[in-house]
Amino acid sequence: MKGLAPLFLGIFGTFAFSWVGLTVIPNWQIGSLNPQSDEEGTEIYPRPQSGMFARGGHVYAANGCVYCHSQQVRADYIADDIERKWGNRRSAPRDYIFERPVFLGKMRMGQDLANIGARAPAPEESPAPASAAALPAPAQAASPSSGTPPATAPGTSPASAGSPNASPPPGQRTGIASPSPGQMANATPGGSSPAAPSAQTPSAPWPIQTAGLPPMYSAAWHHVHLYAPRSINPDSNMPAYRFLYEKRRIAGERSAEALQLSGSDAPPQGWEVVPTYDAKCVVAYLMGLNQSHPLKDVRSAGGAPATGGASPPAVQGASPAPAAGGSPAAPK
Amino acid sequence: MNTTGIPLKDPAVSAAAGDTEQLERAYIDASTRVPVLMFYTSAIAWLIVGTVLAMVVSFKLHSPDLLSGISFITWGRLRPAHMNVMVYGWASMAGMGTAVWLMARLCRVTLRFPLLLAAGAVFWNVGVLIGVGAILLGDSTGFQWLEFPRYVAVILFVAYTLMASWAVLMFRYRRGDQIYITQWYLLGAFLWFPWLYAAGQLMLFVVPVQGVLQSAVTWWYANNLLFLWFGAIALGTAYYMIPKVIGRPVYSYHLATIGFWTYALFSSWTGMTRLVDGPFPAWMITASIAATILTMIPVATVGLNHHLTMQGYFPLMRYSPTLRFTVFGAMSYTVFSIIGVLISLRSVASYVNFTQVSIAYTHLGLYAFFTMTIFGSMYYIVPRLVGREWRYGSLIKLHFWASAYGIGLMTLMLLAGGFLQGANLENPGLPFSESIESVLPYLRGRSLAGILLTVSHFIFAYHFGLMLLGLGRTSTVPTFLNPVEAETSGGH
Repeated sequence: MKGLAPLFLGIFGTFAFSWVGLTVIPNWQIGSLNPQSDEEGTEIYPRPQSGMFARGGHVYAANGCVYCHSQQVRADYIADDIERKWGNRRSAPRDYIFERPVFLGKMRMGQDLANIGARAPAPEESPAPASAAALPAPAQAASPSSGTPPATAPGTSPASAGSPNASPPPGQRTGIASPSPGQMANATPGGSSPAAPSAQTPSAPWPIQTAGLPPMYSAAWHHVHLYAPRSINPDSNMPAYRFLYEKRRIAGERSAEALQLSGSDAPPQGWEVVPTYDAKCVVAYLMGLNQSHPLKDVRSAGGAPATGGASPPAVQGASPAPAAGGSPAAPK
Repeated sequence: MNTTGIPLKDPAVSAAAGDTEQLERAYIDASTRVPVLMFYTSAIAWLIVGTVLAMVVSFKLHSPDLLSGISFITWGRLRPAHMNVMVYGWASMAGMGTAVWLMARLCRVTLRFPLLLAAGAVFWNVGVLIGVGAILLGDSTGFQWLEFPRYVAVILFVAYTLMASWAVLMFRYRRGDQIYITQWYLLGAFLWFPWLYAAGQLMLFVVPVQGVLQSAVTWWYANNLLFLWFGAIALGTAYYMIPKVIGRPVYSYHLATIGFWTYALFSSWTGMTRLVDGPFPAWMITASIAATILTMIPVATVGLNHHLTMQGYFPLMRYSPTLRFTVFGAMSYTVFSIIGVLISLRSVASYVNFTQVSIAYTHLGLYAFFTMTIFGSMYYIVPRLVGREWRYGSLIKLHFWASAYGIGLMTLMLLAGGFLQGANLENPGLPFSESIESVLPYLRGRSLAGILLTVSHFIFAYHFGLMLLGLGRTSTVPTFLNPVEAETSGGH
């Protein structure tokens, strides 16, 4: 090869091509998504999370949870993530707009955590009727429009699923798309509160647990699990994160936060194990991971229990909204 | 000089000219001694650190209570520490050492501005050291392959700028018009890396992109680091070492040109295959899958070119350590790429996406392909820097076989275990824990492979240490793996 100019230009050109193609253009397409909300602006998802959630995310990063746990639910026609009850719909870009860093993950030596917060047992009052109604609404609404994959602008939801009329308003931004009335009943899963109003609570799709331990996926359960994973599941190969906990002598009364440990993991008489602030943050983070809220971009999956009639609509394997962003390369 | 521009060993007929060339080359080699040995020594030190970390990581994965409960040696910190030591400590520094030496040789000038390189090497070591410390102390960024915190990225970037500017300056002062194939790859690598690193840092930390795009940028960066930085250095090295050792020009320049440009064009688009079926616009993933399939073009052309160059000379692998390692690396490039295509296909990826298969893939690229090629180049270069030949042919042989069996076993274990894990994962009838149970025996097998690799690295480090201390053989004949029969000339 003679001549330096072609070499340098080629080296630069190939790099620039890939940079623009795989990062800049996607950034135009899905780089500034807004939360979706209804007309009144009361039902906003997702919401920015609390400070404890953010700090918990850093604890999650620092201790390498991402190397074993993914946080993405794949569509039901691709994989059985939904059948494993890791979510009630596939994950979409909009679910992650406030996540930083984002932990999509590349490994499942542990369970997927995208909806670990949604799996927490419901708090005292049951949100049953309202939230149960919320789930099927978009799924049903999606089916009439499924034959016409929207060829509208990126970020426009397919068929703006919640809308009662089947024809999608062209060009309408999701952020202001009209929702179904049913969705509004759902409480917001914001903050680090464990009040995650899983739409699925009524039928208890996730195993509710077991003697001698806190209810599965509750905050107290997470603490015990982080401190002594094999006390909960003898086959677990998760490392114990004991350094996130403090073993101390009980001064006066036993702390309300103290872990309910049993067997060889239990501290000696007169001692207790309490979470450090980092441990509380990482549990707050886990409890805040919740993608159960319906997204207009994505139809919720069939397997929705409790209320029948939400059988998988015949969407022809179409990818969710962003894929419709006008790429001829979209598969299938 | 023949038309290929590669400084081949001249035939004995032109003895006088040969002497000048030899002398000139000796001068150039001598001028590279300090910087290249600096890079190599640091790289091998990092290799040993990374190997020890790897062993602990591997054992902890199937025995989670081993050394547990201490924050800075918890599995989730050791794993990124191991990864970053290997990527930025071992592979990058070793690759730069080889690249620097090749650059000086191919520009046919004595090395200028050694201080730029020395300073770069020092800064780079400091950066990696602080970065690994930060990861162990819990200051990881959480982005895979970019776990080093921002302040470390600044140090690395400064170090790198020094080295890249050296490369461009050297190139500026080169003699001769011809730019040999190796130089395309090396120039590419030297220029791609800073852009890549800067783009990654910029889009993740300075002007962070939103949501899932962080993952897209991370994997775009990671795959490009693998291909455009490590892959380019390794391919460039192979293009030099194979013809050099067998004393024969590269079979076809045209094939090489096609191979280079298709490699640059397609492999840079493969990043999103790590995120198949993820929450992304489908076109991004499809484009990456298509690009991955198209990387078969450079694989075929490069493979064919090497094969036709080697044709009739394969028996030399019996003697020359350099050739044996390099050919192993070049063949692994083909295997690595084919497996990359297979696991990127949607139908396969839905099974193996979240399994040990991706670990196997990364190790194939970084170890079987890159590291083995670089080992080969070290066996060639180090004697020319220290003026001694490798002391024990047997140790080189041991190094080779331990490495080859180690990485082979490791890949097999991770691939087989990963496929099983994926099949169980995609069988909703089985509980999740079943998928973990099924992969554990394979992870124990991987630890076994890790022991082999550990042995091989310690042997190599010991041997290199002897060379560094001047305890190599004084001889005019290079160290061969097997005694050379009467008339076999062979290279070294």
